[in-house]
Amino acid sequence: MSVVEASPTQPDVLEPGSRRSLGSFLRDNEIDTRMVGMIGVLLAIWVVFHLLSGGTFITPRNLWNLSVQTSAIAIMATGMVLVIVSRNIDLSVGSMVGTVGMVMAVLQAERLPALMGIGNPWIWIVSLVVGVILGALIGAFQGSIVAYVGVPSFVVTLGGLLVWRGFAWLTASGRTIAPMDATFQLLGGGSKGSLGEVGSWIVGGVACAGIVALMVNGRRKRRKFGFRLRPMWLDVALGVFGCVVVLGAVWVMNSYYLPENLARIYAEEQGIPWPDGGLQIPLGIPYPVLILVAVTLAMGFIANRLRFGRYIFSIGGNPEAAVLAGIKTKRTIVKTFMTMGILVAISAAVSIARLNAAVSGLGTLQELYVIAAAVIGGAALSGGIGTIPGAILGALVMQSLQSGMVLIGVGAPLQDVALGVVLVLAVAIDTIYRRRAATR
Amino acid sequence: MKKRLWAVLAVLALIVAACGGDGEGTTTTAGAAATTTEGGGATTTEGAAGTTMAPEGDCIIGMSWNNYNEERWAKHDEPAMKAAIEAGGCTYISSDAGSSEEQQITDVENLISQGASVVVILAQNTQAILPAVQSATDQGIPVIAYDRLIEDANTFYVSFDNVLVGQLMAEVVFDLVPTGNYFILKGNGADANSDFLREGIGSVIDAAAEAGDITILEEDYTDNWDPGLAQTTIEQWLSAHNNDVQAIVSENDGMATGAAAALDAQGLLGTVVLSGQDADVAALQRVAAGDQAVSVWKDARALGTAAGEAAVQLAGGATLADVEGTGEFVYTNKESGVETVLISILLTPIPITQENLDLVVDAEWISAEDLCSTGGTVGPCA
Repeated sequence: MSVVEASPTQPDVLEPGSRRSLGSFLRDNEIDTRMVGMIGVLLAIWVVFHLLSGGTFITPRNLWNLSVQTSAIAIMATGMVLVIVSRNIDLSVGSMVGTVGMVMAVLQAERLPALMGIGNPWIWIVSLVVGVILGALIGAFQGSIVAYVGVPSFVVTLGGLLVWRGFAWLTASGRTIAPMDATFQLLGGGSKGSLGEVGSWIVGGVACAGIVALMVNGRRKRRKFGFRLRPMWLDVALGVFGCVVVLGAVWVMNSYYLPENLARIYAEEQGIPWPDGGLQIPLGIPYPVLILVAVTLAMGFIANRLRFGRYIFSIGGNPEAAVLAGIKTKRTIVKTFMTMGILVAISAAVSIARLNAAVSGLGTLQELYVIAAAVIGGAALSGGIGTIPGAILGALVMQSLQSGMVLIGVGAPLQDVALGVVLVLAVAIDTIYRRRAATR
Repeated sequence: MKKRLWAVLAVLALIVAACGGDGEGTTTTAGAAATTTEGGGATTTEGAAGTTMAPEGDCIIGMSWNNYNEERWAKHDEPAMKAAIEAGGCTYISSDAGSSEEQQITDVENLISQGASVVVILAQNTQAILPAVQSATDQGIPVIAYDRLIEDANTFYVSFDNVLVGQLMAEVVFDLVPTGNYFILKGNGADANSDFLREGIGSVIDAAAEAGDITILEEDYTDNWDPGLAQTTIEQWLSAHNNDVQAIVSENDGMATGAAAALDAQGLLGTVVLSGQDADVAALQRVAAGDQAVSVWKDARALGTAAGEAAVQLAGGATLADVEGTGEFVYTNKESGVETVLISILLTPIPITQENLDLVVDAEWISAEDLCSTGGTVGPCA
């Protein structure tokens, strides 16, 4: 959205005498002040919980757990942003997680082993692929009703919320399906489901190189098209900041070691004598977080670079204008819901892998958390506005609050109250912020 | 043209989907317009197919399910109840309220107008059902409260002793961990059973906690008994106490599944003593593999039989207190403090541990094959 706000015709030099505040400085250089604010809020939340919990919140272990706990919601939130941007809503994602998760679980725990034999390495792939196809079909189906029949998405997905919850039950008559395929379980994190030390550093290094390449490429293109350039020092500072964040995150993930009991088992298996100081095996980036990163990159690419993504923003900004501009709005809406369905399937896979079981109530109320994450992250329900990194930050804020409150012993009812208040507060602040920005 | 075809296809698919649900015979829609009983005809439900018919003899027992959409009713409760009723020479008719409080009141009236001489009710709401109960008892028709309590002294209460369930699971855990640190995962805060269970758990461990033998480090309700939420909660508690916990008392098996996943990630599964109830397949598998200490089993078939037999006796003219095996259950309403004395049959649940896994296999609750499929090595799996 910042791209839209800052046009190349903006005056390079401000009128003399006007004092430059930090905010206007950031805006002039196309840095999303809203995002900066959110990161600040997130850090503040972390520090407060760290102090209240007596120093357990900002530890590698808790941050590692937090990242895994956030993944399932954050994956769906990236899709919900696009749905909301297109002036629609999807209330059925929680129930879809139930149905798709249940189907994937029944496949890998009961159907496929009977067909292919227990432990067949294709089992997890087949169930995942079937799940993703099912998610896409459900999404496309709901999207078609919205786009071609013209039933409001609120109604269609409200119906979906009931229908898919019912199907989740019918798929296994309400039973709990467990355990999941051994390889499939890795998708959920857990003690084995992470990348390890070396792999994590490699991912971090590649990400860092990517950030630098984007910066360089961005400068080159801006110069080519005659756009205003950021001061060199600022671009360097941003690049360094990005790298520090990425490598810092990898360092934190690598500072969380395999729990002692598991390390002992590992030592025994490998025939290593147990050292006095204990065996410290870094876990590294958990697979669900890696999936989230991949999803974020893909969704960011779709939203910012693909015609499909840009169409969604145009439709959300002004549907009539989009139609007149020749955009196939209906097909775009169907594809948006289809994307959402695929993300729901990925999220469901992470959830059942993490729990190592599928229960008929799987995903209950998750639609609310996903929508809340997108909205806290700056998506406007009136359409046209929203960012994918914002949604992930929103999910992280929500999960930080929830996990933090459990850590310091706030009871379940009060947790709900706090989350509800934060949701409204965040949107209220955002609304005021936008209004002031508009009148400025 | 193409678009219109799409639209028609979409609508068709939706209709097929809806009918598919009905075809299963279970009611998935809350409010359940589809199950509205018109002209006094009770709804036929799966398993009960063919049993809901015009009254034949004089002795008819009417059963009002609040929501048939749960595996155990069709699989365990209803066949046992029906068998007991038919063994007593009576006819079984039933209706399903589809989770609607209003519908259930209509259902009870319909059952009575169909000639039921005893009504068995699995209440959706323990208070909203009271007008229907009042109307039945005014007509001299005895009412049996099945599984869930109805706050009316004229009802006959048949259930498992939930306080005892809590006590039994805590006994097994406390036996294994007489000193050490405890987490307690309670169920939904709005469900009275969570507190019944906690009361039973407390009767075993609270004295030890006061004496300082054990320490209850953490204790909280879990919204909707959600296993995923239980997993996150246990992860956080383990972080907060640096894994220094010896026992987790989980009030049911679903939450125990979440706790087990959290323990597994720390390599503590099988080391930390874990409890549950319901005898879920996954939980029994954990018991067999030594990952869960106990799952308290409430045999739904025994409950169905007890209610069926009581209904037959009541239909034969016995008063509530005349029914075999009854006792008095005093229920105190949490808000008003009003006490209700109920004539009741409270069945005893059985704690399933590695020692008596044979019981669930012999009773065909679970097959030995399923039980042992995840590495169990004891009892039936040996």
